[in-house]
Amino acid sequence: MTSSSKPPFPALLKWPALASVAMLGLSGCSVANSDAGAASSNTVRVVLGQEPPTLEACESNLTSTGVVVRSNVTEPLIERNPQSGELEPKLATEWKATTDTEWTLKLREGVTFQDGTPFNAEAAAFTIERAVNSKLGCNVEGYVFGDADLAVKAVDATTLTVTTPEPDPILPLRLSFLEVVPTSTSATEKVREPIGTGPYKIEKWDAGQKITLSSWDGYWGDKPAYAKAEYQWRSESSVRAAMITSGEADVAMGLSPDDNIGGLGVDYPNNETVALRLDANEAPLNDIRVRQAINYALDKEGIVNSLYQGKHQVAAQLVPEGIVGHNAELKGWPFDLDKAKSLVAEAKAAGVDTSAQISLVVRSAQFPKITELAQVLQEQLSQAGLNVKLKMLETSQHLTYQVRPFADDEGAVALMTQHGNQAGDAAFTVDQYMLSTGAQSYFGTPEFDAMIKKADAASGEERKKDFEEIFAYQNDKVVQFAHISHQTGIIGKAKSVNYTPNSSSGDELRVSEMTPAN
Amino acid sequence: MLIYLRKRIVSSALPLVVVIVGVFALARMTGNPASLYLPLNATQQMRDDFTARNGLDQPLLVQMADYFGGVLRLDFGQSLRTGQDAAAMALRAFPATLQLAATTMVLAVLLALVVGCWAALKPNGIADRISSFVSMAAASIPDFWLAIVGIWVFAITLGWLPTSGVSGAGAWVLPIATLLLRPFGVLVQIVRGSMVSALSEPYIKLARSRGAGELRVVTHHALRNAAAPALTVAGDLTVGLVNGAVVVETIFGWPGIGKLMIDSILQRDFAVLQAAVLLTAVAIFALNILIDMGYALLDARVRPVTVKA
Repeated sequence: MTSSSKPPFPALLKWPALASVAMLGLSGCSVANSDAGAASSNTVRVVLGQEPPTLEACESNLTSTGVVVRSNVTEPLIERNPQSGELEPKLATEWKATTDTEWTLKLREGVTFQDGTPFNAEAAAFTIERAVNSKLGCNVEGYVFGDADLAVKAVDATTLTVTTPEPDPILPLRLSFLEVVPTSTSATEKVREPIGTGPYKIEKWDAGQKITLSSWDGYWGDKPAYAKAEYQWRSESSVRAAMITSGEADVAMGLSPDDNIGGLGVDYPNNETVALRLDANEAPLNDIRVRQAINYALDKEGIVNSLYQGKHQVAAQLVPEGIVGHNAELKGWPFDLDKAKSLVAEAKAAGVDTSAQISLVVRSAQFPKITELAQVLQEQLSQAGLNVKLKMLETSQHLTYQVRPFADDEGAVALMTQHGNQAGDAAFTVDQYMLSTGAQSYFGTPEFDAMIKKADAASGEERKKDFEEIFAYQNDKVVQFAHISHQTGIIGKAKSVNYTPNSSSGDELRVSEMTPAN
Repeated sequence: MLIYLRKRIVSSALPLVVVIVGVFALARMTGNPASLYLPLNATQQMRDDFTARNGLDQPLLVQMADYFGGVLRLDFGQSLRTGQDAAAMALRAFPATLQLAATTMVLAVLLALVVGCWAALKPNGIADRISSFVSMAAASIPDFWLAIVGIWVFAITLGWLPTSGVSGAGAWVLPIATLLLRPFGVLVQIVRGSMVSALSEPYIKLARSRGAGELRVVTHHALRNAAAPALTVAGDLTVGLVNGAVVVETIFGWPGIGKLMIDSILQRDFAVLQAAVLLTAVAIFALNILIDMGYALLDARVRPVTVKA
């Protein structure tokens, strides 16, 4: 064979080369079908930590759903001001308790849903029936209302009465979690893309890639500054931060102090409190001196300053300032290692097995730097003379320790918990965490239970005072918790957007509060 | 060849059933997912309602029979997390992974063939040493680190490429480059080793003595014989990518099957997990059959023999 007969392209490479061209062509097709997502002055681009599983209105108490849908697509009857904690009118203009168990609400006139149907008492009643009284299994039902059904009646087009089985002084607060939907919404199935009365409607959901909202011309309130909002999602917070730095996004949620976003990061109190929950049913945590020793052994100031750049606040209770029932007089336990050691020694002398293992149960990746925090806690408790074993678990396993019925363990458990205070009232905290039968409570006392029941039924100033006493009593007499810090969230924000986050931004990111910076 | 193909398909059926049963049983062993889907303060009544609504209160064998019946009708059930059809979710995610894996592997194989052959021409020469160093480094660099550094350099510092996503041709570069490096490194080593061995065979000397050009000697004589081991390794590497490039999909926000499977595991979304695993298993069995057929095309010794009466 002569050199002139050589093939122009090696035969063995022909097929891979052809395949390569085909694959790149295929890729090109896919890319061509994707929107380039270029910046536009009337579109705000938001990057979230995860894709919303659904935008169903009755699941909007889920952070990943609510951050898109609440007050953007749908609206509640009543809303809680995140700064003042006060309830304010939204689709209901006024409300009052007409009897011990009945509340009457006057509804806003001239409001229409995005499908053109009018908002009225019938729609409000349907929303409550659908979310609270049906068999849909809405998340908001379990979160706010429990097993109790509500009796709802549309008295006329703008008057609604809601009757509770027992007196409920915070029913208006509970109603603030219900996003109103029209009667055309399915009552037997959940709806992924709801219709609401909000300033934006859902334009398109490219599953796995992007959600686009567009402003709705028929909105009853002020027209928002941005015509569109685009949501994308990236699991890695460093990538979300990079999207702000590189100009690919305008707002990034849930950043970490390590994300190096510089001046484009905005801190805000995110209403999350971190604490250790101590199981007093097992030695050595069954002795209050050991539980007190744990509180003295933790250097909260050091943790906040070294791990969180001083941005978190040392906590003395499970609820931060701004929540009804927060006790401003309570001070965090001082860091006093000697005191902690002496309390442990005292307990040991009294016959408590202080060498028994304590499992420090922590959920992996629950919040930034949780692994480092867990290691610091383990070390500090060990220095106090306790035998602590660290257990880092994924969410599902962690839940078996967090919620009743609790997992059996080889000994006492100190569980790291991150408590969200988005509900705005201490009742949502103490009923779960401090009642002796609470879903997230290891123990209580009959006297403590009575205090909690009394506070739950109280209203106004008496209610605030009762809950303040409960938090003080917890620290003095019960000591189920070793509080660590009230957290601060970080939102990445491009210079092109004006927006001031508040304590509810993580759960309800109102696009209508954003404006272009120029 | 058709008989061979039919035999392979039949022999793949049993492992497929084992995969289906295994995933079903292992998923159910992780417990009731009610706590993951209900608020922490949900009452026992709500937990019981959730369990009954999703058929999780039935005996395991009844649940498995329902599941098998559904599989035969191509009905994999609904996602607990999104309420969507589980099969539709898996089918939507799979092409994204397949495109990424196929493009990556085609490029990796082409580059590895060129670099491996180049290195093998003069063992221990400069080219061999450079390619050896580069391929070892490529095979050893952790992909999560490379992905983050790639974003920092090319998206943030230089601004040439987008950080992530699937919008625009540029969005493909970093994910593919990240995925490409390890298969490239491994394949260069394999191609280089096979080619060094093949180039020292007597038939190569014969070809050269007959006046064949170096390019033809390499591509037509040596590479044809040296390609089989590379094909085997490339097949294994492709299976790994088709199984889901989890790290790359997570960091770059690539909506693929790997990320879907991990999310389904973490969320105990049984229906989606089962659909995704079954789809991936079928694809891997198909891929293995294709690799075997490719192997047969390359090497007459492993070709199935059909004896005519």
